[in-house]
Amino acid sequence: MTTLATRRQATPGGSTPSRPARRGASSVGRPGFAWALPATIFFALFALVPLAAVAVLSFTSWSGLGDPEFVGLENWKTLIADPVMLKSLWLSLLFIVLGVITQTPLSILLGVWAAGNQRNRAVLSAIYFIPLLLSSAAISVLWRALLDPNFGIPGQLPWLFGDGNLLGTQAGAIGVLIFVGMWQFTPFHTLIYQGAAKNIPAVLYQAASIDGAGMVRQFFSITLPQLRNTAITSIILMVVGGLTTFETVLILTNGGPGTDTTITAFYMYQTAFQSFDFGVGSAIALVLVVVATLISLVVVKVSGYDKMNSSLEGL
Amino acid sequence: MNNRTWMSRSLAGTAVLMLGFTLAGCGGGGGDASSRPENELHLAVYGDASNKVEEAMVAKFNETSDVKIVLDTIPGADYQTKLQTIIDTESAPDIFFNWGGGSIANFVKADLLMPLDDFIEEDPQLKEAFLPSVFETAVIDDKSYGIPMRGTQPVMLFNNSDVLEQAGIDAPPATWDELLEAVEKLKAAGVTPIALGGADQWPTQMWFQYVFDRVAGEDLFQAALDGDTSVWDSEESREALGKLRELIDAGAFGTNFDSVKFTDGGSPTLLSSGRAGFELMGSWAYATHLDANPEFAENVLSYSEFPAIEGGEGDPANLAGNTNNFYSVHKDTRYPDEVAEFLKLMYSDEFVQEQIAIGNLPTTTNTEEFLDEASNPEYAKYQFDLVQDAPHFQLSWDQAYPPEATVTIHTAIAQFFSGQIDEDGFIQAMQGL
Repeated sequence: MTTLATRRQATPGGSTPSRPARRGASSVGRPGFAWALPATIFFALFALVPLAAVAVLSFTSWSGLGDPEFVGLENWKTLIADPVMLKSLWLSLLFIVLGVITQTPLSILLGVWAAGNQRNRAVLSAIYFIPLLLSSAAISVLWRALLDPNFGIPGQLPWLFGDGNLLGTQAGAIGVLIFVGMWQFTPFHTLIYQGAAKNIPAVLYQAASIDGAGMVRQFFSITLPQLRNTAITSIILMVVGGLTTFETVLILTNGGPGTDTTITAFYMYQTAFQSFDFGVGSAIALVLVVVATLISLVVVKVSGYDKMNSSLEGL
Repeated sequence: MNNRTWMSRSLAGTAVLMLGFTLAGCGGGGGDASSRPENELHLAVYGDASNKVEEAMVAKFNETSDVKIVLDTIPGADYQTKLQTIIDTESAPDIFFNWGGGSIANFVKADLLMPLDDFIEEDPQLKEAFLPSVFETAVIDDKSYGIPMRGTQPVMLFNNSDVLEQAGIDAPPATWDELLEAVEKLKAAGVTPIALGGADQWPTQMWFQYVFDRVAGEDLFQAALDGDTSVWDSEESREALGKLRELIDAGAFGTNFDSVKFTDGGSPTLLSSGRAGFELMGSWAYATHLDANPEFAENVLSYSEFPAIEGGEGDPANLAGNTNNFYSVHKDTRYPDEVAEFLKLMYSDEFVQEQIAIGNLPTTTNTEEFLDEASNPEYAKYQFDLVQDAPHFQLSWDQAYPPEATVTIHTAIAQFFSGQIDEDGFIQAMQGL
């Protein structure tokens, strides 16, 4: 609408002044490679070059002392035979799936609600966003203290938590990590959904009301389909975030009990920076990059996100 | 959020890359003395409250010396990582803090450290002024690599004397059977017999250190450290593991110790609030309690040695824990004579007094003269006598092994305690080191 209006207004001005204007525009140029240069340089410097260096390191044995020593495929053989590595990949996948399952419905509901005009909405929304303002380390330390089996919440609710050994069992530890992740990241995704829900044209709802559709019907037939692309964005962010979850694991469980919450990103840190085996650590990092890329590709392909179809259909 | 994690990953990657370049840049060279700064010695220490004394010693040295010492304090948690990264570069410190044993073994192997035997020959006090069981920790292949520079921290069995009294336990257990008996009495009294910060993992390791030492003597662990991993499968090793299992199965540690930490105040509060009877902990536990609950620390907290185990080969007077921290010297230092002069300060009266004033227990032979100046002379004397009389002072396992073994050791001991692995699983894990 607006573009049409401007164009129409421009016509009466005559064709003469439009020529120099067009030349000016062409000398500024359409977005070309030069526009992407700063970002490309940064990406190359901080992502591609380190990636290449990590790839090289993965074929060496290096403890940080002396020079890296070339060992061929030794690190990769170690890794393939390492049960903890395989377990860590499964755990990472489990974390991603559980993260998406728990965070998505909650953030859609909260986001759609926060996009409305209810009373007290602004105040409550502001409160919901508080976890987003805290650092992961602070959040982990906070929950660690709250979940102390003797002096925290479990100690007060023995009928619910039993002996409170939440972090001492695999199911308990995973549950805690998923819960804390949900508490921490739901506000962020709520924010995304809120923005998207606000963008849904009100006419759609008005038309639906005339047709006799209730709130629930409107939510499933209008809101959800209109949020499709937003959901894909949000889910990809969750997947990448889940794969690189680190601080919460380090502080809350330290990968334990045993290796029961040692996800791949944490295992990489442990191998490289605690065991000083930078060779194997680099190999794990590469696996992580490959897995993350594959998952992103699959999500993009399956969802049709790559075709970039507008979801504002009918408009 | 994702941006930040992505960022930190890229940054970490870049850091690794930069390291690669730095190392390639000085690869092979390793830097000789002349490439190091003129009239300057760099001293790297673990950054914490003890730095006060190090600052005072450096200031004292710099007063009279033309070569000035620059003190670099490195934030605690990152110390070993940072050290490992810079030790083989031109920015390596001349003198650096360490834990002796495994923390410097790799550096010795890479020929980065200066044996201090020449210094000792010139000034025998550099060895004789220190308690032998402590000094031994930094001796590798019969060469001395470290001078003790802070306080000793033996592990002791702390108890809540009120709880013990109420449960009808007259004296802290002197033998393993008495310990088992005390566990039963405490259970009957409705408290957790022994507080354990299992989520930190190293507190669990303390139980292994003592039980293995008492049952098999210090030789078993030393043999394992020297590369004979078959000892983990020996009869003594299995007996020690059996004793530990016996204690765990008796319910000595309760059921939720894997969710409790010492470092966030969880397990010490169990002891001070009267919900547990004992806790096996390093000597710093007194300071921890004094800080959190002075009344408890002064009136109720009590302590004893780890009980003897009947029929065991280890001397009941043996200790385990942190023997001390040490200064080691980089072999490329430009001013070895000045370094030797600085190290001599570590047995001076002034050093000992300063350490005692901040609550540390130094390990020089003259320490005894100054123990009355300690904030709790009785506690200081008790510890000092333990260390002085100990035939062997076992360095904590995770510090005796090089740092790369820590994760494996900690995982194995935690899994054994929680029952995820049995004797065979533990033996297999330790043999894999």
